[in-house]
Amino acid sequence: MAQKKNAVIVGGGTSKFGVRQAHLLDMVQEAAKACADDIPGLKPTDIDGLIIATTMAGRHSSALNTAPLVVHRLGLRPTSICIRVDTLCAGSNSAIIIAKGLVESGIADVILVTGGEKVYMPQRWETNYTQLAVNDHDWDSAMGLGVPPPFFAMIAKMHMKRYGTTKEQMAHVSVTNYGYGEGHTNGHFAGRTLTMEQALEARLIADPFGLYDCCPLSDGASAVIVASEERAKAMSNRPLVYLRGTGQHATHSMSAGWPGETLAEWPHLNKAAQVAYKNAKLTPKDIDVAQTHDCFTISEIIELEELGFCKKGEGGAFVASGEIGINGTIPTNTDGGLLVYGHPFGASGARQAIEICKQLQGRAIHQVKDAAFGLTHNLSGTCAQHTVVVYGKEPVK
Amino acid sequence: MAELQKAEIVGTPALNGTYISEMDIWPLETQEFNRIYPFYDNLRAGKFTTTKCKKCGHIAYPPQVICPKCWSDELDWVELPQRAKVVTFTETQAGAPLGFDSPLIIAWLTFGDKSPLKHLLGRIVNCKEGELKDGDEVKFVTFSVPAHPIEVKKDTKVCERVFYAFERVK
Ligand SMILES: [Zn+2]
Repeated sequence: MAQKKNAVIVGGGTSKFGVRQAHLLDMVQEAAKACADDIPGLKPTDIDGLIIATTMAGRHSSALNTAPLVVHRLGLRPTSICIRVDTLCAGSNSAIIIAKGLVESGIADVILVTGGEKVYMPQRWETNYTQLAVNDHDWDSAMGLGVPPPFFAMIAKMHMKRYGTTKEQMAHVSVTNYGYGEGHTNGHFAGRTLTMEQALEARLIADPFGLYDCCPLSDGASAVIVASEERAKAMSNRPLVYLRGTGQHATHSMSAGWPGETLAEWPHLNKAAQVAYKNAKLTPKDIDVAQTHDCFTISEIIELEELGFCKKGEGGAFVASGEIGINGTIPTNTDGGLLVYGHPFGASGARQAIEICKQLQGRAIHQVKDAAFGLTHNLSGTCAQHTVVVYGKEPVK
Repeated sequence: MAELQKAEIVGTPALNGTYISEMDIWPLETQEFNRIYPFYDNLRAGKFTTTKCKKCGHIAYPPQVICPKCWSDELDWVELPQRAKVVTFTETQAGAPLGFDSPLIIAWLTFGDKSPLKHLLGRIVNCKEGELKDGDEVKFVTFSVPAHPIEVKKDTKVCERVFYAFERVK
């Protein structure tokens, strides 16, 4: 039996995120181009596998079988894998897990992992309406649960009630992430800044969330290359960034199956993280930089707790004390995260992977000094599933 | 002329007036389209029910075709408690999905330690904004939702539908 190979992320790029005058397939082409620009040694003919992550494609782009469309537009000729995956907001992070396994097993050598969404339609109502189909449609959606703010607002209220978390502490997340967003010209809110005063005085979206507590829905696409160590060396001289460990944990789809004692506890994220750390042979203390799923400010606070970066219930004080800043114990969402870079669901996991890749290669815009280990995390659905990927400059030995 | 042009914006003429189940916000409740249709029949009778496993006794929600604990397909229908308490809630004034009136009030409900159904996200109906409080008791209510057609050979069968929500116990 052939020896297990090491899988690495070589580089990647995103399209412009935002409300775009573009088709889904246009944005996937932009992301692929940005990925190739980031890896000068990459030739499209090197790519033997394609995974496209998208949720809205079937409805908004009338593209249920998306992978062949991407093959055609990118001029690819995949021979190892050619599939679409859908785990909503964790789409391309799930695709990275699949790509890791395929490369390590020798089934594939060079995989283009891409994700994208066309969210905005000719009439705005349609975007909110489609959200009813991404939850547990016949049960939770029939209760009116569509777009995420109402559900996460209840999570925030619960965390405030149980742990004393404040709106000011939540604003520390958005202000920090806007600082990190600076320089990321493809971000949805590129060029914008945010002060504590602006964050706290913003119009109410869903109590307790103001405008800046919520990430936008974005059109956009991202793309990365996952390859074997040998093939990566042939196309790039940069330091290798290894896919060390992954974990993905789902417990339910509908509210009746919620696994926590209350909405403020996310034991399913804790479990996914434990699995990923174990596979990566690391602990939370080893991680130098993290990209977590900051769909709302409260999400980042709870994620820092459940990922083991601070104690349960202390996430609010942790973010307010500057620990997620560039000189803090765990710089988090160093490219602006979902709050600033934006959130085209299937594209977000790969966008996070690009930032961790650059951090570990020492070429990030907001560089964490000597970053050697990084982590990405997505939640998906009504916080029903958690996906964690751990990266390092050395492979697991 | 401008009015004439506006009148011509029909979008997808082939679908005008057509029921599109892919865009339906309510479940396809009839026997032709699911195997848990007794749930909806029970709703019509004012009962809140689900399936209980004959083998291991597990009570699942939503109702199932097999038991999610032991995968037995021998299940019974049982009633669930109709009263719950509001743990926390959210009121949406703007941005409620098409088909739902504002304010759209959604609550995280707890049914108590003895209930097989511990918690649920439930819509609170017949309630004005600002009226609901944490800790309020709510009760199960049913209401009719739009019917849909099914083609039966050359005829059309009309499927009446029902759904449930919760309202404050005053
Ligand atoms: Zn059973």
